Amino acid sequence: MLDIVYVVVTLVFFGLMVLYVRACEQLGRGSIDGEERP
Amino acid sequence: MTANGWFQILFYSCLLLALTKPLGVYMVRVYDGSLRWLAPVERVIYRICGIDPAEDQHWTRYAAGLLLFSAVSMLVTYVALRLQARLPLNPAGLPAVPDRQAFETAASFTTNTNWQSYSGEVTMSYLSQMMQLAFHNFTSAASGMAAAVALARGIARRSGGRIGHFWVDLVRGTLYVLLPLSFVLALALVQQGVIQNFANYVTVTTVEGAKQVLAMGPAASQIAIKQLGTNGGGFFNVNSAHPFENATPISNFLEMFSLLLIPAGLVYTFGRIVNNRKHGWALWAAMFVLFFGGVATSYWAEARGNPIHAARGVDIVASATNPGGNMEGKEVRFGIANSVLWATATTDASNGSVNAMHDSFTPIGGLVPLVNIQLGEEIFGGVGSGLYGMIMMAILTVFIAGLMVGRTPEYLGKKIQSREMRMVMLYVLIFPATILTFTAASVVLPAGLKGLNNAGPHGLSEILYAFTSVTGNNGSAFAGLTGTTYYYNTLLGLGTLFGRFAMMVPMIALGGFLSERRTSPESAGTFPVTTPLFVVLLIGVILIVGALTFFPALSLGPIVEHLLMHAGRLF
Repeated sequence: MLDIVYVVVTLVFFGLMVLYVRACEQLGRGSIDGEERP
Repeated sequence: MTANGWFQILFYSCLLLALTKPLGVYMVRVYDGSLRWLAPVERVIYRICGIDPAEDQHWTRYAAGLLLFSAVSMLVTYVALRLQARLPLNPAGLPAVPDRQAFETAASFTTNTNWQSYSGEVTMSYLSQMMQLAFHNFTSAASGMAAAVALARGIARRSGGRIGHFWVDLVRGTLYVLLPLSFVLALALVQQGVIQNFANYVTVTTVEGAKQVLAMGPAASQIAIKQLGTNGGGFFNVNSAHPFENATPISNFLEMFSLLLIPAGLVYTFGRIVNNRKHGWALWAAMFVLFFGGVATSYWAEARGNPIHAARGVDIVASATNPGGNMEGKEVRFGIANSVLWATATTDASNGSVNAMHDSFTPIGGLVPLVNIQLGEEIFGGVGSGLYGMIMMAILTVFIAGLMVGRTPEYLGKKIQSREMRMVMLYVLIFPATILTFTAASVVLPAGLKGLNNAGPHGLSEILYAFTSVTGNNGSAFAGLTGTTYYYNTLLGLGTLFGRFAMMVPMIALGGFLSERRTSPESAGTFPVTTPLFVVLLIGVILIVGALTFFPALSLGPIVEHLLMHAGRLF
């Protein structure tokens, strides 16, 4: 039974990491001074 | 401390310096694709896996590839360990690995941590050691190297977020760097007496007449990559203190040397990729100063020994009748100098293998490995992870320098603005947040305290070390903590995952962000990153960030224990 729990925990963790990639991408886009400045 | 001991430490340092450039140049050619001597093998792998080696991936795809590979390989390992009893190459008839240990082990090896809550010789079949653990030893190391090279590419070029191809970097790092070096080292270790066989365990009669079972197995091949890939997971329970895993002083030197070889070479590789070799050497110099400081401190503390032992008549001073001196927790074959050199190198890198027991070191001797990991393991560091950790600190350094003079910080011609600093701060903060949260929970929850074998500050050090080790993807154990419980196996497994991937993602994102910026020429206002001043400032930033974060916890652990030791109290 606990095997399923550990597999689900693993999948949830990596799922969260994929969302984390998206969040980092948004943080990069949302940065108002992220544009090149002279 | 002896002249012989210092000579061995200096010889180690000089050889590391001598091989940094040749290996660094070799790895430049590996990652720019110009090295082709294994091209036919590469082509077959790409064709089978449907990889287009000419593709240049956006950083989000690069990160997704790394996460996908890690998730799938971790789950495969979990299932294989649970089915071990039904699979071949299990002459000792070992049962399935318990669920909690299978999870922790799968997470630990996937993340290049190799924290082991089990004894290899009574838990893992030969198949599990070779097809699961050794597989991760190669691929987790290659993943780390790939990520570091991707960051370097992001700094070096302007490519709109494209930083290379994860699968190609993974294949080339494994094929051209890890496999050949491991093959040569494994042969050298076998020549020195490290075992490599598929024999059944041997029962022998000891000189006292007792029966003893000697574990066998294909150790040398795993030890080679365990050291070169900064993995650290031992074939046997006592790791490289076991004579079948580390047979002679020469095998000890080879294993100890190989754990910093690739991380040192990668620093030179970085300097070449970003076309600023002097900066590569500046990073190398900062790493070496911190490395040498750690060795010297640890050697001093261990050579002095424990004054309470001396007061009770134990001979802890090196003399004609006691040539080893303070040998508590150390192998007589290796002595103090080689024990502290290994302990320092293994925790500077994210290796975690041991040839002495850190729990038996003096408080200051034990503090050095702990601090090394807490500084982020960027003192040469893990293969790849050490380099990108140090680059993060270098960016933080130029950011602080920029604030001091009121100019927009630049790093190697790329402007560092808020989005880059957000990624750096995510990287810097996730590490202590994970360690301190899990440690704090464990010192108040009954499930956490249940695993403690020592009271007082030493007990705190044991818990703090465990979570520091797994989050830093080091894997060395301080010992003294019973980690084979659902609480510790699960939490330590999660610690390895957070310490690896939650830090890698912002680092890869940073590479992508920097690759979107154009490279500006150096101006009079650019803070130079090749000078001794930069090296000093970088070391200062690393120490201050580490000290500010962990000093309170260290004060309650090894530091107070050191003071109490001099007041006559032991824990």
